[in-house]
Amino acid sequence: MSQSIDESTQTTEIGHDEYDPVGTLALIGLYFLILVALWIFVYFVEFLGNDPTVVTGSALLLAGVGHR
Amino acid sequence: MSNTYLDQFPAEAKVVRAAFYSSFFALAIGGLFGIVQTLHRTDVYRFMDSADYYTVLTAHGVLLAITFTIFFLVGVFTWAVTTSLDRGVENLRFTWAWYGLMVIGTAMAAIPIFAGFTDSIDMSASVLFTFYAPLQGHPLFYLGLVLFVVGTWLAGVDWFRSWRAWKAEHPDERIPLPTFMVLTTTIMWYIATLGVAAAILLFLLPWSLGLIESVNPLLTRTLFWFFGHPVVYFWLMPTYMMWYVMLPKFSGGKLFSDPLARVVFVLFLILSVPTGIHHQYLDPGIAEGFKFIAMTNTMFLLLPSLLTAFTVVASMEHGARQRGGTGYFGWLKALPWRDPVFTGMALAGLMFAAAGFSGMVNAGMNINYLVHNTFWVVGHFHLTVGTAVALTFMAVTYWFLPQITGKALWSRPVALVQVVLWFVGMTFMSNAMHRAGLLGVPRRTAEPQYEGVTFEAAVGSVGELNAQIALGGVILTISLVLFFANVIATGFNGRSDELPSNGYADALSGPEDAPLVLDNLKLWTAIAIVLVIFAYTFPLLSIVQRGGLFGPEVITFPVSLESLAPIAAALEYGGLATVDGVASAVTGALEPGRIAIAEVVR
Amino acid sequence: MNVHTYEKLWLIAAMVLIVGFIATITYGSVGLGIAMVGDQQETVEPTELADDERFGEPRVEQIGDDEYEVYVVAQTFSFQPDPIEVPENSQVTFHVTARDVIHSFSLAGTNVNTMVIPGEVAEMTVEFDDPEVYGVVCNEYCGPDHHNMEGQVHVVPEDEFDLTEVSVDAPDEVDAGESATVDVTVENRMLDGLETTAELEIGGETSVEEVALEGGEATEVTFTVDPETLEADDSDVEWAVTVDDHEERGTVTVIDAGDEDGGDDGGETDE
Repeated sequence: MSQSIDESTQTTEIGHDEYDPVGTLALIGLYFLILVALWIFVYFVEFLGNDPTVVTGSALLLAGVGHR
Repeated sequence: MSNTYLDQFPAEAKVVRAAFYSSFFALAIGGLFGIVQTLHRTDVYRFMDSADYYTVLTAHGVLLAITFTIFFLVGVFTWAVTTSLDRGVENLRFTWAWYGLMVIGTAMAAIPIFAGFTDSIDMSASVLFTFYAPLQGHPLFYLGLVLFVVGTWLAGVDWFRSWRAWKAEHPDERIPLPTFMVLTTTIMWYIATLGVAAAILLFLLPWSLGLIESVNPLLTRTLFWFFGHPVVYFWLMPTYMMWYVMLPKFSGGKLFSDPLARVVFVLFLILSVPTGIHHQYLDPGIAEGFKFIAMTNTMFLLLPSLLTAFTVVASMEHGARQRGGTGYFGWLKALPWRDPVFTGMALAGLMFAAAGFSGMVNAGMNINYLVHNTFWVVGHFHLTVGTAVALTFMAVTYWFLPQITGKALWSRPVALVQVVLWFVGMTFMSNAMHRAGLLGVPRRTAEPQYEGVTFEAAVGSVGELNAQIALGGVILTISLVLFFANVIATGFNGRSDELPSNGYADALSGPEDAPLVLDNLKLWTAIAIVLVIFAYTFPLLSIVQRGGLFGPEVITFPVSLESLAPIAAALEYGGLATVDGVASAVTGALEPGRIAIAEVVR
Repeated sequence: MNVHTYEKLWLIAAMVLIVGFIATITYGSVGLGIAMVGDQQETVEPTELADDERFGEPRVEQIGDDEYEVYVVAQTFSFQPDPIEVPENSQVTFHVTARDVIHSFSLAGTNVNTMVIPGEVAEMTVEFDDPEVYGVVCNEYCGPDHHNMEGQVHVVPEDEFDLTEVSVDAPDEVDAGESATVDVTVENRMLDGLETTAELEIGGETSVEEVALEGGEATEVTFTVDPETLEADDSDVEWAVTVDDHEERGTVTVIDAGDEDGGDDGGETDE
């Protein structure tokens, strides 16, 4: 079966101390940047740009009183 | 000579097989309903009344989110416990008993759901997967759910019995990782299901039987979400288990860290439940402070998933480097992309990374004004349960099938095409769903085309989004057909002697590196309970104080008139279903009544 | 327990993400004043909404210069009132409850979105700047006709907005040769005064009366219609009362003395 074929393509044995997952660090660093960018886009552009938004009524009332 | 699971545990393999086949049966029907809905909603092809859409949606949700996933995972958990403890179940009849109970429960819940399609049986449970009161389903629906959950409880008892028996013989050994994952998940499930058990047994079932007059809709809804959020981890944790203990093996490497895997499962155990209120950010009657606490818990629940992302990818990279892979990204080419099991699971993981983002948005309290109950949410969970979980389960099936049948898989190329098609189809569908959600297109509606409401897209159009959703749905359906072709054709294969052995991945950093305290299940259970009490006592007390334990007087809105009759009569009706003449006469009389109810409610 | 340095880095990055998310949301709440639907409002009895102070009559109410309150009832499968009309540059607080099952009240394409739960009242304060028509959908499944549950919020220019209510008391029948009286009640539910006219059009003739009202006042205008005006080919005489853009219509039937069937005969000859 192919499972055994897959295992036979193993060329080296890498132990715990000699393995640094540098590719994982690169990939996950990329993921981190994508997450931050998407979050900023969805919160500040999609959400805050989607007016009107529910606001604190009482705070605005106070502000309104201040104007008068 | 092979050394498959079937060779090691022939009796248990039959149970696992039965559980898998039950799960696939639910997947087939649920999937069929998926394409029916997709075409109806997008107005590509409509052949049924829009009122029936909600019956289809109920069946789709219950069959896929509950039946498909849970039947599969009890199979996987039984395999995991027996394999990692290297001992059979303690009492095979008990094992078959919980499986039987789950089947009976499913059938009982399915009867009223499917009866919703025909007017000749006056029974219905078109209340969707969330069954929010005052919408009221037939008592049989609630009873079926209860039996199903009790079945899963007994399955948990089975796994705990195996562990205790093993522990008596191996007092000084660490709990093997797969069993550790099963046990922590089971404890989480016990705590989580208390919510739905309370909602059904104390309120909804007595109410549907006419024993109590009314319920507090906000209370039963909150109890539902007490269960409704952690249930997603009940599907997700077996998926994580596959990623931790199987994917490294298929990649040609070892699990990067056994101790961190344990930490992740402990975090899920203690943080899964006290988060349900994040489904209720826009509910009136729950104070903003409680919502904020739920958000904080939810956000910290990201931690175990983000840790999993690292550990699983690092395990894959270990495999790739052992296979000769090099470079920062070049190692990706050394992975076994021709293996459908690996590719399916890897693509499922990739989709879960995307789902992680929409989940982070869902977790954000005030941003829910934008996304709550829109199509965005549907896009999100088609990436999580619909891909991360479903695609992993389908992919790993290609490894499990030979293990539990003793037969070689019918076709690996077809399997490879199947998993890739699922990924492509879901990319189209879910991406368009997310975008439609941002325009405010609601979820759970038969016809999102309104007379006085338009959805304006800054980029593209609603028509383009609908086309993508329909296209995705068609591709997913083709993928499902290929999956079932492979499962069925494998069943017709002869027994093979050259199958891979049963087993799971070794760890680079093994359990000996994990602090002993991680295996202290009592401690974590206690912490989990304390956190649940902290997160839920005050909201529940406040809800009861405001609306009463049994609520204000509500207008019951039965989706079928029959629901007030006692169960015995209901069963009798089920029997009558075949006698068309009698039944249609009854329906003829009741149909105006149903309309009258809608009028009265007005 | 040895955790690889890279994974420790990722652990820190993950915590930064989590704290960053919570900080963003907190900024939205505290910095921008985005409030959650909460437990500010007292509960109601869903079966007794008809007698409820807040929801007995679903309506728009003015509470300050540019401040309005809207009381909305969601029920299978509509919203009341519909459409909801409010002026531009206003601050509107919606109070929404349900008569039967769980619904939602969601203005499509905006961040105005709440669950509507029987017994509970959702409160949301929103600022509307420019005139616009918003579609309202129910986004929680509420029964077989859920997909037809929709409404609208009309934000209209200030000069087109009023809270004037007009009711007309006119006779259904009048004897031939008699005069008729039409009473028009005009109520100004705005806080500011209202100066306008009430206009009665009947039998081709128009009469106009001035109406001046303080905020919150109501008045009655009486029109007396001469017998000649009521003489027409048809024994059914149509009338219309107009106050600003409010119009009430009706018919008066003129009955010939001694011939009770006169009206019917007239109708027949008309065909």
